[in-house]
Amino acid sequence: MTTKTADIIVAAAIICLGLLVGVDSLRLGAGWGLEGPQAGFFPFIMVILVVGGCLMIIRQAVKGTSSVKGSKPFVPKGGLKPVLTVLVPACGMVLLTEVVGLYIAAMIYLVTYIRFVGGFRWRTVLLASVPIPLIFYWVFEKMFLIPMPMGMYGGQILRF
Amino acid sequence: MDILSHLMMGLQVAAQPYNLLVAFVGMTLGVIVGVLPGLGGANGCAILIPITFVMPPVAAVILLSSIYWGSLYGGCICSILFNIPGEPWAVATTFDGYPMAKKGQAGRALTAAFFAHFCGAILGTICLTFFSPFLAAFALRFGPPEVFGVMLLTFSAFVGLVGKSPIKTLVATALGFIMAAVGIDIVSGELRMTFGLTPLMGGFNFIVAVIGLFGIGEIFLTVEEGLKLEGVKVRMRWSDITSTLKDMRRYWKTLLLGSFVGVWMGFKPGGATPASFMAYGFAKESMKAEDKEQFGQGHVAGIFAPESAAHGAGTSAMIPMITLGIPGSPTAAVILGGLMIWGLQPGPMLFVDKPDFVWGLIASTWYGNIIGLFIVLAFAPAFAAVLRAPFGILMPLLIFICSIGAYAVNNRMIDIWYMMIFGVIGWLFKKLDYNMAPMLLALVLGDMAESAMRQSLIMSQGSLLIFVQPPIALPLVVAALFIGCWPAITSVRDRIRMRRLKEGKA
Repeated sequence: MTTKTADIIVAAAIICLGLLVGVDSLRLGAGWGLEGPQAGFFPFIMVILVVGGCLMIIRQAVKGTSSVKGSKPFVPKGGLKPVLTVLVPACGMVLLTEVVGLYIAAMIYLVTYIRFVGGFRWRTVLLASVPIPLIFYWVFEKMFLIPMPMGMYGGQILRF
Repeated sequence: MDILSHLMMGLQVAAQPYNLLVAFVGMTLGVIVGVLPGLGGANGCAILIPITFVMPPVAAVILLSSIYWGSLYGGCICSILFNIPGEPWAVATTFDGYPMAKKGQAGRALTAAFFAHFCGAILGTICLTFFSPFLAAFALRFGPPEVFGVMLLTFSAFVGLVGKSPIKTLVATALGFIMAAVGIDIVSGELRMTFGLTPLMGGFNFIVAVIGLFGIGEIFLTVEEGLKLEGVKVRMRWSDITSTLKDMRRYWKTLLLGSFVGVWMGFKPGGATPASFMAYGFAKESMKAEDKEQFGQGHVAGIFAPESAAHGAGTSAMIPMITLGIPGSPTAAVILGGLMIWGLQPGPMLFVDKPDFVWGLIASTWYGNIIGLFIVLAFAPAFAAVLRAPFGILMPLLIFICSIGAYAVNNRMIDIWYMMIFGVIGWLFKKLDYNMAPMLLALVLGDMAESAMRQSLIMSQGSLLIFVQPPIALPLVVAALFIGCWPAITSVRDRIRMRRLKEGKA
């Protein structure tokens, strides 16, 4: 995919989002209410700016006057894989957080990532990934009394 | 004299052992945050905001501002030793900093950068101390139309002066305002843009947005480029400091110029990046011929100018934040958001209601920057070692820490998901030249801007003339329109010129 295509797709997506917001601000009323502007007034102006702006962005992209180089590939060769190897495990960690809580999920995430993506030796893996979530657990839950998500089972596992 | 007595009071507040400790910790964390790729001052502050909930506001603001100063100091370590600008305003430093480091003068380059930062900080702090009270007193006369005018000026400065694509900056700003509007409307109490979805009812938190856009997004960019951190090794020697002091005596004009440009530009939103390039350009122009050739190959003045400008700009970005409630940089925006969370109303009334808070902050800026200078001078090699930690370990840790920060703001699980989504958006936007700083500012200031606009219209019963009423709102709005339309004006001018050229040829 070239940068030009990506530019157009992103602008089009923003337009869709803008139209969605526009519909809702019209529902709320974008005019003058009993004593002042209605709730949809300000968002509606913003929608006009967003949609108008994005149409100009698309025009610039098509004409080739955009500030980004349109002919270059949007993601350089071999660039997408590293991004996905970061994004997918990270999302996995967030999913796990819903089940076992952030600390345990982070520990699992750190072990998997450092071992299988980073390719470090098990000793390094354990030294880096086990103490750090525990230190954070102690600092946040015990010292500052700031609760972190415990998921469905995390609270039962972390009992110290 | 009034200012000096206030400053003394502020020093008393800021010099309490607890606050001193907080400043020291903040500075150290700030330098680390500034050194690490993917974490900047804005991010560091955003992640630590939850910890400040348990602190008194003065200590909290000292912590966040110290992180800010520390991250400014730390940024140059990255650009000089690794040739990687951690922040856009550090780009100009790599021109001469990295060549110097490669020539084996890494220690000298770093000390030069640190002292340049210090000079910028001093000039910025002088302005912060002596200029803010007057500006705050002036701003006390602002009503809703004037506040709206200031907002308009802020955002049109972004559109007109900063960034590669004005139209994309405009779109990003409007998107920020739309995101700010999601949730319960503070005036009418109606639910807006929630489409019946409960998670949307709480709206978007800007701290989550900061962590996603600037933190996670930056990590994606880093891994995509397959960044190899191969830096120059550094050892700091006493002779580096003495030679830097000699350099400073020789190029004091460059330092002063850089600091001045920085403070002047930093006062306007988004000014730090243009300031550092401008200072670099000015410094090069003002040199003698034999020095000019050295520029770009490792000239010490090429470090002095952009670094003093960047720190000057960073410091003076606090002036509009503390007086008008309009932050001049993303980090200042996060600190402003912190203020709101601690229950303080940003704006000129702070000087009247909370003098200990304001002057504690200003006083801590004075000694914080001095502490910062000593910390970086003493421990620069140690901070550089942080960067040598393998990225395969550092990166998952950063994501873990970012998740903690995102969750702790509101104790909502959905915010961690938002953070990931903002990360992807940040990655896309950065690659397509959408400017994220005004988007963030719009998200922070959205409610304030909208209510200022609606209140003004209620006051005038719908007449738009209220925004151009003399004496204050009129010049603000006229200036805002002029600056905002500047890109359009220049493009029309260029087109006319092109046509004339063609006609001239024909």
